[in-house]
Amino acid sequence: MTLDVIPIHVANQPPGEPGLSGNAPPLLREVAEQVRRLLESGEPSAIDLSALPLTSADLDWLQEKLGAGEIAVTLQAGGESTLDETACPGVWWVTHRNEQGAVTSQFIEVAFVPELVKAHPEDVAIGLETLAFMISDHQGDAD
Amino acid sequence: MQGPLIDTLARQGVSRRTFLKYCATLASMMALPPAAGRAMAEAMAAARRPSVIWLPFQECTGCTESFTRSHSPTLEGMIFDMISLDYQETLMAAAGHQAEEARHTAMRDNAGKYLLIVDGSIPLGVDGAYSCIGGRSNVDLLQEAAAGAAAVIAVGTCAAYGGIPKANPNPTGAVSVSDIVKDKPIVNIPGCPPIPVVMTGVLAHYLTFGSLPELDDKGRPKAFFGETIHDRCYRRPFYDQGKFAKTFDDEGARRGWCLFELGCKGPVTYNACATVKWNGGTSWPVESGHGCLGCSEPDFWDAGGFYKALSVPADPLGFTAAAAMVGAGAGVAGGFANRAKKSTAKKTHEPVTLDDLEVPK
Amino acid sequence: MNELQLLTWARGPGLDIAVGIFVLGVLWRLIEIYTLGRKKDLAAPRRAAGASGLHTVFRRSLAPPGMLKRSPVSYIGGYTFHIGLAIIVFLGAPHILLISNLTGLSWPALPAQLIDLVAVVTMAAMLVMLFDRITKPAKRFLSTFEDWFTWTVTFLPVLTGWLAVQHLLLPYTTMLALHILSAEILLIVLPFTKLFHAFTLFGSRWYNGSANARKGVPV
Repeated sequence: MTLDVIPIHVANQPPGEPGLSGNAPPLLREVAEQVRRLLESGEPSAIDLSALPLTSADLDWLQEKLGAGEIAVTLQAGGESTLDETACPGVWWVTHRNEQGAVTSQFIEVAFVPELVKAHPEDVAIGLETLAFMISDHQGDAD
Repeated sequence: MQGPLIDTLARQGVSRRTFLKYCATLASMMALPPAAGRAMAEAMAAARRPSVIWLPFQECTGCTESFTRSHSPTLEGMIFDMISLDYQETLMAAAGHQAEEARHTAMRDNAGKYLLIVDGSIPLGVDGAYSCIGGRSNVDLLQEAAAGAAAVIAVGTCAAYGGIPKANPNPTGAVSVSDIVKDKPIVNIPGCPPIPVVMTGVLAHYLTFGSLPELDDKGRPKAFFGETIHDRCYRRPFYDQGKFAKTFDDEGARRGWCLFELGCKGPVTYNACATVKWNGGTSWPVESGHGCLGCSEPDFWDAGGFYKALSVPADPLGFTAAAAMVGAGAGVAGGFANRAKKSTAKKTHEPVTLDDLEVPK
Repeated sequence: MNELQLLTWARGPGLDIAVGIFVLGVLWRLIEIYTLGRKKDLAAPRRAAGASGLHTVFRRSLAPPGMLKRSPVSYIGGYTFHIGLAIIVFLGAPHILLISNLTGLSWPALPAQLIDLVAVVTMAAMLVMLFDRITKPAKRFLSTFEDWFTWTVTFLPVLTGWLAVQHLLLPYTTMLALHILSAEILLIVLPFTKLFHAFTLFGSRWYNGSANARKGVPV
């Protein structure tokens, strides 16, 4: 059963919606500063969106301003995560969800490639072992 | 079993990315900067699982329910994979002597290094006989376990402040952990029940930084107990506008106005419910239309009634009628005394004559 | 005793004691004053326009001609803080709730921000009055311990209430407890100090007015 079945009347809009709090525009400057730092020193950084007093309208406004880029990464790890490049290369909109699909945290990450996308050397080594195993297995089959 | 944590997790099918993602979310919930998430992940991946002994005393198991009955699998469930929970009566398979043996082994093998989690208050009445485990009183067990602990985490309002067992007239003589343990660092995680992520946060902090988080003067982690419910409440604007629900089913209640007049203790309650929320972020008491009970504050049970606003009398006034009688009596008595004085003055009144006014020779 | 226990004590036994002493003192003094009685005036009453108890009650609320110019601080400051106190006490939402809980009477409240502003203005007026009392030699000469004391017990509830709402200096719980305690001190000392003018003011004006009216003098 979904909520649509229950005839709910929303008597009042939650306060602050659909209004903008005015806290979103300064974030653009913050992002610009972080992009500059990335270019100069290669240092990646991030903004924790759930730690800021932003309304959902603010988040929509930000997401709309930053736009959509060429890459959209979907990660299946303990629930779905999306790491989407925005229209400004190097700026990524990262949303983590849990297994139930609820958003657990949201970040704007400024990096050439988000940390989470890169494979860890230890995991790569394990992958190599798996490959070696496959090759020997295949040779075994061929023999 | 005691290898780096990341290996343990890998064996359980938890990928590195899942772990990284988890750490990022955890850092966000603990109000740490995003970069801390990565630092946490690195530190935690290499960390050894600390031994944890969980002692339940005079309690209702609601705290354990809070941590274990959240949606599975969750962050909270995951953190239990990161510690070695060596003794927890409610959750462990072993019972009786086997269980006691597990506790003794953990205490012996990890002396001075294990974390002690306590839920429930400790009764001191009748030599602690009100609550015993395996024939030993709670206070005895606590003193023994605390002696070898690195730190004590008092989970729930009972362990932190005495809670409901300590409520007037406190028949069992219940006290809090900090009333007994004086020489170990104690973290209080009050709440009836406490918010699971607060406990997870404290454990993660300990795993990551090897220390306990910053505490306030009541021993609570500042990251979660730094602000009142009222200050973080989404209904706060209605309080400021003077819009209050007067009953639980009036127009104000339907419109989601402030619940101050219905006894909400949000203004004096420090907790994270308004931001972290409950049941996986679904809702929290005020959002569901009921005022805050103040369950994470000491002696909340005796704070003058859940449905009485903070600005109204905690108890019915008992002296007023008597005082009015005494006051009226004193007034009437004073009146009679004044009249008597006046009539005496009248009686003894002597007219002034010319002789009186003459200067005596 | 932690701050929540202090608050609960202030809201419970503390309030009970304070209201008890207040009611006792008010009844005692009012009854004693009004049973004093006065000698019968045997002279034939005279009449003059504008001379009556009621006239005096109103006339004394206004500054006599020229006085406003001579001591503006006393009149303007005095008016400001008296009206301010009345607004805060009778139109602040938590205070109305207290009154309605004790008496069953209730009326609409003013917005919290407005009460906040009034509190600031009231405190400013009271501070100016205090400064005036200290700096004016005549006023200082006439001031007794009671004057300084009653100023303090009147000022403290406003200050602590405002600090509590603004989350300044101390945690809200502690400040709220101090606010209630300071209001209780005010309740306790009110019947036994010059603050009792809150009850006797209009009665004594009426008395003076009507006594003089009988003599044909509007005062």
